[in-house]
Amino acid sequence: MQFDYSPVLERLPYLVGGAWLSLQIAFLAFAFGMLLGLGGASVRAYGPRWARRVVGAYVVFFTNTPQLVQIFFIFFALPDAGILLSPYQAVLIGMTLNAGAYLTEIQRAGFESVRLPELEAAETLGFSRIQTIRYVILPHIVRVLFPPLSNQYILMTLGTSMAAVFGVEELTGRAYNINSETFRSIEVFSVAAVLYIVITLIATLSLAFVGKRFFRAKMRWF
Amino acid sequence: MLDQILQELPRFFSYYNLLFFAKALGVTFALSAIGCVVGFSLGFLLAAVRLDSRPAGRPLRIASTVFIELFRRIPFLVTLMLVFFIFQGLNADLAMFTVALISVCLIATAFIAEIVRSGLESVHRNQWDAAAAMNFTYLQTLRLVIIPQAWKIILPPVFGFFVLFIKDTALASQIGVVELAFAGKTMNNKGFSAALVYGTVLALYFMLSYPLARFGKHLEKKLAPTRNR
Repeated sequence: MQFDYSPVLERLPYLVGGAWLSLQIAFLAFAFGMLLGLGGASVRAYGPRWARRVVGAYVVFFTNTPQLVQIFFIFFALPDAGILLSPYQAVLIGMTLNAGAYLTEIQRAGFESVRLPELEAAETLGFSRIQTIRYVILPHIVRVLFPPLSNQYILMTLGTSMAAVFGVEELTGRAYNINSETFRSIEVFSVAAVLYIVITLIATLSLAFVGKRFFRAKMRWF
Repeated sequence: MLDQILQELPRFFSYYNLLFFAKALGVTFALSAIGCVVGFSLGFLLAAVRLDSRPAGRPLRIASTVFIELFRRIPFLVTLMLVFFIFQGLNADLAMFTVALISVCLIATAFIAEIVRSGLESVHRNQWDAAAAMNFTYLQTLRLVIIPQAWKIILPPVFGFFVLFIKDTALASQIGVVELAFAGKTMNNKGFSAALVYGTVLALYFMLSYPLARFGKHLEKKLAPTRNR
């Protein structure tokens, strides 16, 4: 095999632009998924029985079926019902729904980890309700939730590569494009792999820094 | 939309279509099962190599760390494409299934190695020291002291990963392996409505993954209270 990286490296800015779009998709899906998960976790904790069932079914369904097929369904089946989505919208909606299911579970576990003695201690110290939330519950939840949430974020960044299947031009999609232009397949995809490693490493390191520095979360650098 | 689906139903659930789906389900199952077994064995090995603190093991330790860190950060789709084109470049005439299987084993190994490592590390430092004081070799320490305590912590997340993993094999459809997602695409191209086809595919995946997820949850509950610290 002979390698020629020059046609790929010429197009490096184009690929980096794709990486930026990947990060955008991951961030948006994560943010919306967080909201969805917060809603889901609250319903599971405090909602009426039927609502808890609905959220439970949503979580079980979305965590047990592949995201790719979910997006296939959204992209190809919903137009029959009159809902026409662009590839970008379909991917974002699919990833959000999928993330929402996982984040519901993660946040629920976080809420459940607050122990009664902690609340009693706060009461003994004469904390008001708002003080209890501000000084006891929130710091505890953030500290417990930060590591699994950042892990989920990294997994979602990798998951954005699925968007290429639907023709969204993020990092993998642009790698496909360059591949069909130059036929330097191994070179293109290895450069794309390196870019994925770089963006997830940056995310891991900065999340670990923030978690350790501000929330006293137990996290590893690697 | 509903009328159309109802109309298609008898044609859709014909004998040969069902056979096609059953075969596709078998391929998905084979991909995930072989990936799980290979991934677990190799992952365990890599984790054990990575935790070996003897100076002689240093090059191996670095190699396994690099392997684990890299493959956990490359999306499955890109791994798949890389493996596919590398074998093409080597002029190796492999079936698509083999290419998918190799990539599946690569990522499973990396992810499971990480799970196993954190499980082994969760055993208290004193246990390692005690084994060292008794002059156990590294392998003896692992086999007689660490693994008996760590497997309860390792198993539940490993099952969690298996569930994630069945779903990742859907991406193998992108290089043309006829597994469930690909079967869905084919049936959709044959003219059946997307809602019916992908609904069926989703249901089949669910059937494959839900029992495993339930079993994982069960293990988690059963093994959790006996944590020894």
